Amino acid sequence: MPRRALISTLSVLVFLGAWEIAPRLHLIDMAYTSQPSRVLAASLEAVRNAGFLHDLSVSFSEFAVGFALAVAMGVPLGLLLGVFPVMRYLADPVVMAIYSTPYLALLPILVVWLGIGMPSKMAAVFVGGVVPIVVNTMAGVRQVERCWVLAAQSFGGGKRDVLVKVILPASLPGVMIGTRLGLSRAVLGMVVAEMYVSQAGIGSEIMRYGSAFRIDYLLFYVLVISGFGFAATRSLRVLEQRLWTADK
Amino acid sequence: METRSDIDTTAAPHIRIDGVTIAYARPREKGAFVAVSEARLDIGRGTFVTVVGPSGCGKTSLLLAVAGLAQPASGRVLVNGQAVDGPGRGRAMVFQDFALMPWRTALENVRFGLELQRWSGEDLTERARRYVHLVGLDGFEQYYPHQLSGGMRQRVGIARALAVDPEILLLDEPFGSLDAQTREEMGNELLAIWEQDRKTALFVTHSIDEAVFLADRVVVMTTNPGRIAEILPVDLARPRTIDMLDSEPSLEVRRRIRALLMGGTKCLGVR
Amino acid sequence: MKALWLGLLSFATILTLWEAAARLGVMNPFFTSQPSAIAATLGEEARSGELPRNITVSLGEFAAGYGAAVFIGIFLGVLAGRFRTFEYALDPFLWFLYSAPLVALFPIFIIWFGLGARPVIAIAFLLSVTPIAANTLSGIKGINPALVRAAKSFGAGESDLLWKVILPASVPMVIAGLRLGIGRALTGVVVGELFGATAGLGFSIAYYGGLLKTTNMLASLAVIAVLGVVCTQGLSAVEARLDSWRTGPGL
Repeated sequence: MPRRALISTLSVLVFLGAWEIAPRLHLIDMAYTSQPSRVLAASLEAVRNAGFLHDLSVSFSEFAVGFALAVAMGVPLGLLLGVFPVMRYLADPVVMAIYSTPYLALLPILVVWLGIGMPSKMAAVFVGGVVPIVVNTMAGVRQVERCWVLAAQSFGGGKRDVLVKVILPASLPGVMIGTRLGLSRAVLGMVVAEMYVSQAGIGSEIMRYGSAFRIDYLLFYVLVISGFGFAATRSLRVLEQRLWTADK
Repeated sequence: METRSDIDTTAAPHIRIDGVTIAYARPREKGAFVAVSEARLDIGRGTFVTVVGPSGCGKTSLLLAVAGLAQPASGRVLVNGQAVDGPGRGRAMVFQDFALMPWRTALENVRFGLELQRWSGEDLTERARRYVHLVGLDGFEQYYPHQLSGGMRQRVGIARALAVDPEILLLDEPFGSLDAQTREEMGNELLAIWEQDRKTALFVTHSIDEAVFLADRVVVMTTNPGRIAEILPVDLARPRTIDMLDSEPSLEVRRRIRALLMGGTKCLGVR
Repeated sequence: MKALWLGLLSFATILTLWEAAARLGVMNPFFTSQPSAIAATLGEEARSGELPRNITVSLGEFAAGYGAAVFIGIFLGVLAGRFRTFEYALDPFLWFLYSAPLVALFPIFIIWFGLGARPVIAIAFLLSVTPIAANTLSGIKGINPALVRAAKSFGAGESDLLWKVILPASVPMVIAGLRLGIGRALTGVVVGELFGATAGLGFSIAYYGGLLKTTNMLASLAVIAVLGVVCTQGLSAVEARLDSWRTGPGL
């Protein structure tokens, strides 16, 4: 095993080992930190529970709808803002301001507007994802070299041709980056919204177990979310590779 | 005008490279890459020696060994009779890619070596200023490297090395990144500066003309493995002028060097 | 400068449209409020001391969490940059901190520290230490080895190398990391306050949320937005300043 992987693995194992043993040696109170073995047990228990699938589906659907909306609206908006310089100048400061604010602060307002059901969570996902998508799509459009546009026009390409055959393909990398960045923010939006409202979904389970001092179950759900985020990002990367090789 | 054609064998050499072999471990293969194999070379005090050869023949490695920045796998380098085991006050280096600290002005860069070597007893900034003047960069003290041309940056590099008053000047293809014209200018200027106190200089290059123009002796290295093929004296008067390159002695030396380099490892008498 | 004027113009336009829409009944002011009402509320809260108190609490938590993250993050980054082994050991943890939804761990912090400022500081710290450490590490690894070699040729020891070469050379990346950390620390403070605090800007949003008082909520949100922009733009300006000695390849 290459040295790097070896040391990294060892480091994690040492950490897990210490985490497991310290409560047994009464160095720390297990109520505060739980143990890997307990987290594992809780995980197996929770997965078998029928409620788990329900929570998972609720969270996933909130995420799916919200994120799909973010992409569907974010990409065209980003393209628009990127292509028309006038809009860019006006939009830039606003977008930058929005990017610099913690979007999660919008949660309570979203709840006031949309209630405590799924729509508010979808909105949280949407808000989390749309901003990076717009910003990076805009940047992606700016990457388009003027000479490509000129080349297309020199061959008689009209506005539509330029848009479809030059700008769209060329700004694809920007779109992909934006989607990837938006993904993690979207997932976060979903979890935190569910935590705030605590009605259904994985976030609400986290809050429930948190207040019950059951860190083992809580960590299980945290891992579920991390795993989901990781899987989603991975699939996006694979998609990126596919599209890229097809492009080149 | 004086000529210098004999190797000064009576006095102890300033630098003695004694059977030095330098090897680098190859990360993914077995065995090491031998950069320099059994190099033997004596350099007298105050002489200007150039090392010429193709890429990869170990000339830079040899220079690094003298500088104390590379450890020989076998053999040793002696300076003033003492073995070299790390960088030290007597030797200063000028680099091909200038290696100037981008966040320091020209003046501050010249100060850099003085600070590191903990010079005391005089105002470092004043001393640095003198050397900036010496290399002809008056007025550019407050400029940052990215605001200077390649030639100017290298002058800063030279000033930095000279400022610490080394006995030995080590130059690693210092003009390699410059265009041909600037190269020629810088070569002349370097010699003019060198004439002032005749430090012992070891200069690495892969330009045959440059090697002959600057040197008292030219060390020709060949590659695979890197070894010293021959050491040729340059019988030209000092101070050097560019037309000397067209003289018979110069042409002869250049021919010889070319033959050695083209012929590959026509290894004759490693010294 | 031009950017600043354009920015103000954009905002002025948006605010005007917003106010108009609310007055004309195009948007229901109950849900969206209007700039005039928000401004009035801000004035009230400022006078009653509520606004200053909230700002102080939130800023205090931010300063504590972010401040700790700066020190510890840079320290860890330098250590990891210098010692390969430490970098490999730290790697998986950094990766986890970057990709896991750290806010979800907040209930654990409440268990550890109780309600109030401490869990908020903790989450702000955890969120911001990641980009700072990661960027510092990256900055140090990316240093031009020629510079290190040049310094060594003049006899630089470990200490000299660190202070005169490595740290100055990695400043751009470190500052970028600090900038990223600000956004995350602020998020941590606000979200933490939503859940576990008894004072502060985030707390006030949640509090008024419970009372369905949109105007007050938006007022606090506006303050948070301004803080976020000021901090981020501030650091961007510092970044730009430092770029004055930066250059392309070939030094």
